[in-house]
Amino acid sequence: MDHFPTNWGRPRNDAYDAYNTYPLHQRPSNAPTHDKFADAVQRTQQPIVTGTSVLAIMYKDGIMMAADNLASYGSLARFKSIQRLHAVGSNTVLGASGDMSDFQHIQSLLDALVTEEFTHQDANTLGPAEIHEYLARVMYARRSKMNPLWNALLVGGFKDGKRFLAYVDLLGVTYTAPSLATGYGAHIAIPLLRQAVDGRQDTLTEEEARKLLHDCMRVLFYRDARSLDKYQVATVTDAGVDISDTIKIDTTWDFAEGIRGYGAQTQ
Amino acid sequence: MSIMQYNGGSVIAMVGKDCVAIASDLRLGSQAMGISSHFEKIFPMTDRVYVGLPGLATDVTTLHHQFRYRLNMYTIKEEREIEPETFAHLVSSTLYEKRFGPYFIEPVIAGLQKTASGDFKPYIAATDLIGCLNFAKDFVVAGTASDKLFGVAEGLWEPDLEPEDLFETIAQTLLNAVDRDAYSGWGAVVYVLTKDKVIKRELKGRMD
Amino acid sequence: MPDGSFSHPQQRQFNPYSDNGGTILAIAGADFTVIAGDTRQSEGYSIQTRYAPKVFRLTDRAVLAVNGFAADGNMFVKKVKQRLEWYRHAHAKDMPLRAIARLIQTMLYAQRFFPYYVYNILGGIEEDGSGAVYSFDPVGSYEREACRAAGAAQSLVQPFLDNQIYFKNQAAAPNQSHPAHLPLPDVLSIVIDSFTSATERHIEVGDGLEIYVVLAKGRSAQGLEGARGIQELSTKSDGDRVFVIRRELKKD
Repeated sequence: MDHFPTNWGRPRNDAYDAYNTYPLHQRPSNAPTHDKFADAVQRTQQPIVTGTSVLAIMYKDGIMMAADNLASYGSLARFKSIQRLHAVGSNTVLGASGDMSDFQHIQSLLDALVTEEFTHQDANTLGPAEIHEYLARVMYARRSKMNPLWNALLVGGFKDGKRFLAYVDLLGVTYTAPSLATGYGAHIAIPLLRQAVDGRQDTLTEEEARKLLHDCMRVLFYRDARSLDKYQVATVTDAGVDISDTIKIDTTWDFAEGIRGYGAQTQ
Repeated sequence: MSIMQYNGGSVIAMVGKDCVAIASDLRLGSQAMGISSHFEKIFPMTDRVYVGLPGLATDVTTLHHQFRYRLNMYTIKEEREIEPETFAHLVSSTLYEKRFGPYFIEPVIAGLQKTASGDFKPYIAATDLIGCLNFAKDFVVAGTASDKLFGVAEGLWEPDLEPEDLFETIAQTLLNAVDRDAYSGWGAVVYVLTKDKVIKRELKGRMD
Repeated sequence: MPDGSFSHPQQRQFNPYSDNGGTILAIAGADFTVIAGDTRQSEGYSIQTRYAPKVFRLTDRAVLAVNGFAADGNMFVKKVKQRLEWYRHAHAKDMPLRAIARLIQTMLYAQRFFPYYVYNILGGIEEDGSGAVYSFDPVGSYEREACRAAGAAQSLVQPFLDNQIYFKNQAAAPNQSHPAHLPLPDVLSIVIDSFTSATERHIEVGDGLEIYVVLAKGRSAQGLEGARGIQELSTKSDGDRVFVIRRELKKD
């Protein structure tokens, strides 16, 4: 029996320091001194497979969120039917831009969290505010370890008659507003969203909200080179979460007919 | 550190009721070290046009001479004194001539412009170091304490100040701004231009 | 040398910090303190939200304003509040202001080698009933002052405060001296003027203004009755009291 706790769990090597001549805190390790894979520990230094903007607004009955179906590999449109909206429980939807593998990791974290909550069987469920708080803590903790989850996330929900819409990113920065957008959407769509939504979130109808997001997704498709003309819309209302089927954006290109530099050259 | 901050110094100009004021600190430094507390950077161009030249000290002198020369040429050719607005454009074009090897100065111009009826209208302007003109109805600032000057001036200035009130406003603005700037201070000078006289006052300031 | 070749290995380092703009300010009176901050949160040229509070009620006699990197700021406030709750459970009373100040210094210095990128201003009422302002740098250096501005428009606001609060560069009338403390209505006017000025000349300041007023125990709310949109936040009416006044600022 080895009576030195610091040796427990280590490979035995009776030929070496059999009498424990070292002081406790300096116990020699019997394991290989150099882990051959130590240098290979990877941290996310840059996103690889990425999703572009996510848009979200508050409206009369709850919140609405939209994200296209593309996951890019650099400038390559790599995966064209990826879903970037994720339901968490029955009151929350999460939209992700940035690294898609990190997003999938976050999905499994959240699914585990919801399952854990369910097993308590106390009729309590996590709402959007709790999900956002949890994500903010995870994102901030990871940035503090200099090993961030490379995403900008939107969390939207509707619970106990109250809307919730908030942002959190790889730095752990959070905020809420009646209209939110990540990535290019923050530059291109936000002016349109704020003009239509801010101050009118209590009267904006579902049809108006849907049309607004559709129009913004079209503008983004026209101007964001990492976007796709296929997207999904999620709503969270007192009826729960609904993530739509893929919607195709109608686009017009005939204006480009006579312009050199647009489309195929005829001369 | 930028060459614009090498010698330090700040200038401000303000509009009042039928009067204008222009003021500067008196410091000349070499980075953090103070060299002189009598370095004037405001110069009369005519009786009714004054220019402040904060920035690199060697260019203060060079530009002062340059403007004096060009002004003399203008006066001889035109046989009349230059108006402040015209002078502002002279400053602008002089600086833009050196677009790709600029003088490191951000001039401030203050003057009284003659109107068609024979009255005098306050005129102030400032440019960046390559001559982009900025006219203002209230005040203009330049130099190492410009952000502080903006903050204080925005709080103290009001329209239609009489000459003595304008003096007090610009003096307080300048003094309190340069006291928070390591590269400006060491005394100050204020000019108040009215239609029939120019008042110059040298102010004592903190010497630390 | 980003020339696309592999001859020199490239290192891109993740930057764990950001600057979210905004400005905060606090002024101490004889028996009150005013702590204020704008509500704009920005990154670069983008306004992230027009309402993100930077000023927080800690107790009935302490208010903390936090400015800099928003994620660090929110986390720091969360941890300070947690420590104050533990103190309440252990001692059955609120922590005194000067103790909160020392707590904040310790908490900031604990992160000396990975600092909270945050400028803190703590305002409130001291145990002797006097108004107090404590200002901190990101690693915990602090001092008690009568007034302090911090954040994006510090350089615009602080010299104005020197002039209007400390009467710097102003001579008192013959045989008179400047007041050591200003009355509450004057302080509120100066705070509002400071923020409208900063909003005018600084792109990161604007949208909304939250002014917290802490009144010493027994002091009447005299000077506050005229304030539009005022709301009381204190838990009891016979101790030190906290109020908040919300105003709009220009949104451009």
